[in-house]
Amino acid sequence: MAKTQRSFLSLSALFNVRNTVIVLCLLVMGWLGAAFALDHKTIFLPGVTSNGHLLFEASCASCHEGFKPVSNDTCMRCHEAEMATDAHGPKKFRDLRWAAELEKLEVLTCTTCHNEHVHMFDRGVHLKPDLCMICHEGIIQGELASHKGFSPDGCWTAGCHNFHDHRSISTGFLRQSMGQADMLPKPALPARTFKPELTAPPQPDLGKELLGGQA
Amino acid sequence: MRNWVLEGLLLLVLWNGLTISALAVDQAQLQSINQSWSQSAHAFADVNCSSCHQNSSTKQVTQRPNHESCRSCHESQVDTFLLGKHGIRLLEGQTALTPALAHLPMQAAAHNKQMNCNTCHDVHSVKTLPASVDSCLTCHKDTHSLNYKNSRHAELLREEGALPRPSTVSTTCATCHLPRQTSASGTVMVNHNNTFTLLPRDRMVKEVCMNCHGMEFAYNSIFDDDLVESNFARPPTLSMDTLKMVRALEKQRSGNSQSE
Repeated sequence: MAKTQRSFLSLSALFNVRNTVIVLCLLVMGWLGAAFALDHKTIFLPGVTSNGHLLFEASCASCHEGFKPVSNDTCMRCHEAEMATDAHGPKKFRDLRWAAELEKLEVLTCTTCHNEHVHMFDRGVHLKPDLCMICHEGIIQGELASHKGFSPDGCWTAGCHNFHDHRSISTGFLRQSMGQADMLPKPALPARTFKPELTAPPQPDLGKELLGGQA
Repeated sequence: MRNWVLEGLLLLVLWNGLTISALAVDQAQLQSINQSWSQSAHAFADVNCSSCHQNSSTKQVTQRPNHESCRSCHESQVDTFLLGKHGIRLLEGQTALTPALAHLPMQAAAHNKQMNCNTCHDVHSVKTLPASVDSCLTCHKDTHSLNYKNSRHAELLREEGALPRPSTVSTTCATCHLPRQTSASGTVMVNHNNTFTLLPRDRMVKEVCMNCHGMEFAYNSIFDDDLVESNFARPPTLSMDTLKMVRALEKQRSGNSQSE
């Protein structure tokens, strides 16, 4: 009798564990389904979103089309202006002198350096700050006397080099602009001008339509 | 149960009534709007009430036109606005940005302001000077922003007196953060992508600082965090190693050319 009782107990215990697992699974699925249906998509975020994308992180479709990997086109939808003068763009790597470098680091794919929802070092870059060394190690090892012994992670973190845009930070530009006065002789801000089309303002063409009731 | 439904309906009606009355204007408000508009650049450019408040095909009148309406004339301004932090939520089909969602310190009284063109621009007076400083400071209250009023840049602006729009020497918040740019066709437009010149800092130097300042002055200022925080309260004291290296290179090259 005592034996039957025990086996009955262990059976019911097993039964309960199974039930609990099923119920838990259903709860989790229900929770995820509700989150999806009610548009609380932030619970699907796999990690912290970078500062630049944080404000619209709940809009998954901004960057993701189903489960396809994020493509350059997705990034360029917003970042075209920043990439207009890309120093490490397709034009550089079409040159046979540099084409083979792409095998070391596929820099023509945005996500190689700019992943999302992972830890970022700075400027939305998730690779370690010494990433330049993958191709440019020689610079700090004596190829360029002025840079010999420099820290491998300082190229961009110290603010001296800009991977995509070196128009205002290239040696040529700096040499050319050395010795300029603190204040340039003439401010170069463009003026905004306005040429009126009419000599007198017209009569307002809406009035009562804007009063009360109509939203 | 029926009571609940009735209460819900009542609330809905009340809410609708409230939103309509909040949007609608009375006779006195309309008069003051017309007065302000009649002296504006819009009026003199023949941009009338219906240009923004009425759909040209359906003739439907709208109390609150949004950025889509502005875009019908100011395309590049709106397009750049939508790419910056101020407008990106609208571009991505989310609710408008409010200071409450921001990660920078913001004025508590402004927390619920919805970011759209008319949050910063008085669309009836169309004076862009208030939009270039006062509007920014309605929301932003970080140290750099609050220090602007005590800066040399602000002093220059005050010395200019009353202006319809910032001049070629006015240095406002917008001069640096929403800079004027000349397109290939020669049109001057304001880049409303507020994050475009922010980082990396060398972009600010090239696009903004060097419109007025020499390169060394600009770099030695923008890379000094304290100076940036003080909103450039004093001339720069930094002496960047990069610039020392370029000077050394220059000396070496001129030395070489002399010995040749």
